[in-house]
Amino acid sequence: MSLKVLIVEDDVVFCKLLTKYLNNNGIETQDAQSAQVAKSLLANQNFDFVVIDNKLPDEDGIDVLAWLSEQEITVNKILMSRFEDEQIIQKATDLGVKRFVKKPLKPATLLDLLQELG
Amino acid sequence: MKLSITDNVHLVEPGDFEPSEHWYPRVLNSNIHPLVSHFLYLSNEQYIERYCRLNPEANPEAIAKILNYKPKYFKWSGTDMMHITNQLGNKKLTVIETNSCPSGQKSMPLLNLNVEKGGYKRLIEETFLPAVNAHKETGKLAVIYDKNPMENVGYASTLADAFNEDVLLAKFEKDDPNPPAKFIDNKLHIRNEEEEWEPIRAAFRYVTQIPWSRIPVGSKTLLLNPIEACLAGGRNKSEAYGAYQAFNEEFKEDGISINTPKTFLDVRLGELPTYFEKMGKSMVIKVPDSNAGQGVYTITSETELNKAMTELQQNPPEDTYLIQQLIYSNYIKGASKKDSWYHVGTIPDKKNRSYAFDLRLMMSSTNEGIRPLAIYSRRARLPLNQPLPEGADSWELYGTNLSVKQMEGWSYDDERLMLYDIRNFANMGLGIDELISGFIQSAMATYAIDQNAIKKFEK
Repeated sequence: MSLKVLIVEDDVVFCKLLTKYLNNNGIETQDAQSAQVAKSLLANQNFDFVVIDNKLPDEDGIDVLAWLSEQEITVNKILMSRFEDEQIIQKATDLGVKRFVKKPLKPATLLDLLQELG
Repeated sequence: MKLSITDNVHLVEPGDFEPSEHWYPRVLNSNIHPLVSHFLYLSNEQYIERYCRLNPEANPEAIAKILNYKPKYFKWSGTDMMHITNQLGNKKLTVIETNSCPSGQKSMPLLNLNVEKGGYKRLIEETFLPAVNAHKETGKLAVIYDKNPMENVGYASTLADAFNEDVLLAKFEKDDPNPPAKFIDNKLHIRNEEEEWEPIRAAFRYVTQIPWSRIPVGSKTLLLNPIEACLAGGRNKSEAYGAYQAFNEEFKEDGISINTPKTFLDVRLGELPTYFEKMGKSMVIKVPDSNAGQGVYTITSETELNKAMTELQQNPPEDTYLIQQLIYSNYIKGASKKDSWYHVGTIPDKKNRSYAFDLRLMMSSTNEGIRPLAIYSRRARLPLNQPLPEGADSWELYGTNLSVKQMEGWSYDDERLMLYDIRNFANMGLGIDELISGFIQSAMATYAIDQNAIKKFEK
C-alpha cells in the first residue's frame, strides 16, 4: 500500500511542485497552505506522514505538531525549516518529530527520506 | 529543482520540465482542431494574401509592415477580442484589451505532439533566447511573477533547458514587505541561497499587479516584457485606446483600423450617470489599469450603476475611468441597425443556449515577424438568448474572465474555458478567416502599443 503524505507550507508553488512530484512517484500526497487547513485535514483523514514548514502564516509548524499530540493524532512528523534553531529542534524532538529537513529541499531527497522511513 | 532556496525563490534546473504540470488536465488530453493548426502554420504572406482578398480596401503593404514589424518593447502580447455583429449582418472581431503578461499556454493544446513543451518552447526559443543572446549584461537568468505559477514554472523550466543553466524563479508581489527581488541601479537582483543579492542579466516577467511600483523604466536587465510595454498600453486601457486611435490615424489611407467599441476617456466618478444616459442606459466602466476581470463593470440598470459607483468611491477622488459602449446580448429594437453591435455568441447547444465569448490570441515577435502563439476562448456564465434571471448581475451575461480567486492560478472555472480542440472549436462558429482577422487585429494592437512606447520613452 502506498504512503499517504500531507505537505504543509504556505508557498503554493513549493506545495504544488512537491505534491505532483511525490504523486508521480507513487506517494499519495495532499497539501495545505495554512495551519488551519492542515489541522482540518489531519483531523479528518489518516496520513502516514505530515511534512510541515515551521513558518506558516497563521501559526508556527511546531504549534501544529503540539496540537497533534494534544489531539492524540498518530502520524509520522517531519519538520522543515530554513534555519537550524536548536530550541526548535529540541522542541520538535520532544514532540516526536522523526526528522528535521533543512531548506532548500530537493524533491528527490524528500522522496528518499519518506521511502526510508515508511 | 531546489525548492525554497530562500523565501519565495526556487531554483529551476535543466531537465525539470514536466508537461503535466503546465497545462490544465483537460488540455493535456485534448487534440488541436485541424483548422486551428492549419491557421497557426500559415505564413505571414499567406495571412496577408487571404486578408486582402476578403478586404480589398486593405493595403497589403501596410499589413506587411505590421506583421513583419519587430517590436522594441512589446515582444509578447495577448489580445482579448469579442466576435460581434449588427442588424445588417456585418460581423467583426473587436479588440477589448491587449495584455503585456498574457496567460494562455496552459489552455492551448499542443500544436505538434512531438514537441512536448509546445508554446512555452516557441516563446522562449524564438523570442526570448535571441534577445538575451544579443544583450550584453552579465548575471543569472530568472523568472519573476506574481500570478499564474502553473505557466511560470513552465517558462522557468523551458528557459533552463534552452540555456542549459539554472534559473531563479522568484515571486515578486506588490504587498510583500520583504520581496526576494529588487532593482539596484536599474538592474534586477534576486536573493540567492546565501541570502545575497544575485544580479540578473535577463528575466521573463509575469508581474501583473501595479508592476510599475517595483519595476523601473530603462531596466538594464533584459525583461520580457519591459515595463515600458505596460505603461504604453499593455496594462493601461486608456493608454492603449490612445495608441489605437493614433494607429487608426496613421493608417487611415490604408483601409485598415483597429476595431474597438465606442470609448470615452478620463470620465470622473460624478460624470458616470450622465454617460449612462448618453450611452442609452447601458455601458461598461473600466478602471484603466485593472486586469483579470477586476475593475470592469457592465452596467445595464441604475441599480448596477449605483452599485458600481459605491465600489468606485473607495478609489482616490482624482481617479478617472474609461467608458465603453456595451456590446449587447441581442439587437435592441429601435437601435441603429448599423452602429448597435451585439455578440455573435456560441453555436446554440441542444438546449438552444448561446453564450457571449471572447477570444484570447497570444502572439510574439520572432525572426519571421509577429506570429500567433496560442489561442483560446472563454464564455460567459449565462446564455445571452434567454432572459436574465431576476436579481442576476449583467456581468453573468457578459463577463468572460475565468479567474477564480483561490490557489493562485492552480484553479479555474473549468466549464467556461473553450479550447480550440477537436471537441470544442466548432462551438464558437469561427472559421479560418475570423482567426486571420483576429490575428491581424491583435498584431495591429501590439504594433500600436509598441509605437506608443517608443513615442513615450524615446521621443
